[in-house]
Formats: sequence, C-alpha cells, structure tokens
Amino acid sequence: MRQFAVIGLGRFGMSIAETLASRGAQVIAIDRDEEKIADMADVVTQAVQLDATEERALRSVGIQDVDVAVVSVGEDIQASILITLQLKELGVKHVIAKALNAMHGKILRKVGADRVVFPERDMGIRVAQRLVTPRILDYIELSPTHSLLELVAPHAYEGRRLREIDLRPKYNVSVVAIKRKVPRITSKGDTEFAEEVVVAPSSEEQLVKGDLLVLLGKSEDLERLRDLE
Amino acid sequence: MSGEEQPENGVKKVTELIEMGKFYFLNQCYEQAIEKYTEALDLTPNDPDIYYNLGIVYESINRLDEARQMFEKAVDMKGDFEAAREHLDRIVGI
Repeated sequence: MRQFAVIGLGRFGMSIAETLASRGAQVIAIDRDEEKIADMADVVTQAVQLDATEERALRSVGIQDVDVAVVSVGEDIQASILITLQLKELGVKHVIAKALNAMHGKILRKVGADRVVFPERDMGIRVAQRLVTPRILDYIELSPTHSLLELVAPHAYEGRRLREIDLRPKYNVSVVAIKRKVPRITSKGDTEFAEEVVVAPSSEEQLVKGDLLVLLGKSEDLERLRDLE
Repeated sequence: MSGEEQPENGVKKVTELIEMGKFYFLNQCYEQAIEKYTEALDLTPNDPDIYYNLGIVYESINRLDEARQMFEKAVDMKGDFEAAREHLDRIVGI
C-alpha cells in the first residue's frame, strides 16, 4: 500500500490528508500544533506533533520510507523550503510542495521539489474563468499544450447526435465524456436527478438539454469554444 | 361560505401544479416544469419544497445561479432541509 506524509495541517494539508485517508491510503500527518494533531488523530494512520524542520525529528517517524510527501505548511516560507530540502536529502522519492508565490515556487524547485503546486493561484484562475464564461465549468491543464474542459452543451446541440455537431471539424476537439443528469423521483416522492457519465461516447450519441461535455484538445482550440453560444 | 372553499381550492390547485411540475421534470420538459412550479409559488410563496423542486430543475439544466438562489430560499425557510443544503453546498463548492 502506498504511504503518504502530509506536513502542515492548514486547510489545504488537512483536506489532502483526509481525502487520502478516506481512499484507504496510509497517511502520516505532521504539524507543530498539538491541537491540529489531536483533530487528525482519528482520521489518519498516524498523527505526529513535531518540528519538521529538524531532520532528526523527521527521521524518527520514518519519513524516508513514504512514497510521497506533501509539504503544505502555511505562511512560513522559510520552513517550507527547509522541510522540502530535508525530505529530498532523506531520500523521499516524490515531494510535492505548496508555494505561496512564484519566487517561492522557484526556490522549492531548486531545492528538489518534484512538483510545486499553487492552490490559491489555480483556484483563482478557475473562479475567474467561470465568471468570464459561465458555460465553462472546469478547465484542467494536462500539459503545456493540451487541456480538458467541461462545457455546458450549447442549445444548438440539443437533440443532435455527436456526428452532427461541429466540434471536431470546426474546433478540432474531441468529446471524451458526457455528464448527464437523469431526472427521477425518490422513494419519498421528491424530485432528484441521478448523474450519469457516458465515457467515450459513440458518434451516434444524442445530446439532451443539460448535458455537460468533457472535451479534450489543444488549449488554443479549446479557447475558441468560449465564443460558442 | 365561499371564503371557506377558496383556500381548499387553492391548496388543490397548488398540489396539482406541483404534480404537473414533477411530471414535466421527469419527462425532461424543463421549461414547462419551471413554469408550473413558478405558478405554484405565486399561490404559496412560503413553501420550501417548491423552491427545492425548482432548484433541482435549474440545476439539471446547469442554470446554477438560479438553482443556488432556490436552494438558499429553501434552507432559509427550513433550516433542517438536508437535501436542499447538500445541493447548495455542492453548487457553492464548485
């Protein structure tokens, strides 16, 4: 079973640790704050209060044996850099570090972070994109050139089959999945909908009102979809 | 005397409108469902269930701002409305 360590239990670190644990992973959660450790004690495999900038302390919990360590300390940039450095020196294979700004991210990479994430910046971009184009619900960069995009199907597509719409010929993007809400009545008589995902839909698949299209393509091609009505 | 009959008729009308709204929703006739629920709300503006049902229709067709407003009203009127709260949390969370 894969082993993870999460160092720094702010909101970001806490939600990573909780999600990993809920998926059945072994998680060591580390923080300086005793209260936070007490909160996580029942959630993760092991919750330890220690100063992660100290190599000895890290070694004492066997951090060198985890597969992935996430450094999610909050405001203390110096601590986050030191911890990242220690982890790599101790031989942790994969270190993911949270950066507060571009310079912080640069330094984290220099000291060996395998991946640097900017959760606040990324969330900011997502929220802004949704505000500018409400039709686009999500946008994930897969590589510098390609992205995945979740788009509310335009009215003009309703009732038509995939082969009849112009996504591929005109925009050069592929429909990799359709998220569909199917209306139903619960046993209590309330209305509700079930969410269905049609993965790799055939060209005969007919679109209905409310469908969300998950599209894959070059970022520049996807960008042009923003103008779809 | 007629005063006694009217509220009863009103209740019957609202129940009918809600049933029609549900029927249209189940048949994916979302615009008609919205119409019926809105008519029902004109008659009984304080029914959290109608707001909830209307929220479900809006959410189904990705009109999320309107869906959010409906769920908010449902939760405001009935604090322990779990289903409405779940939908609201999810919409706000995305």
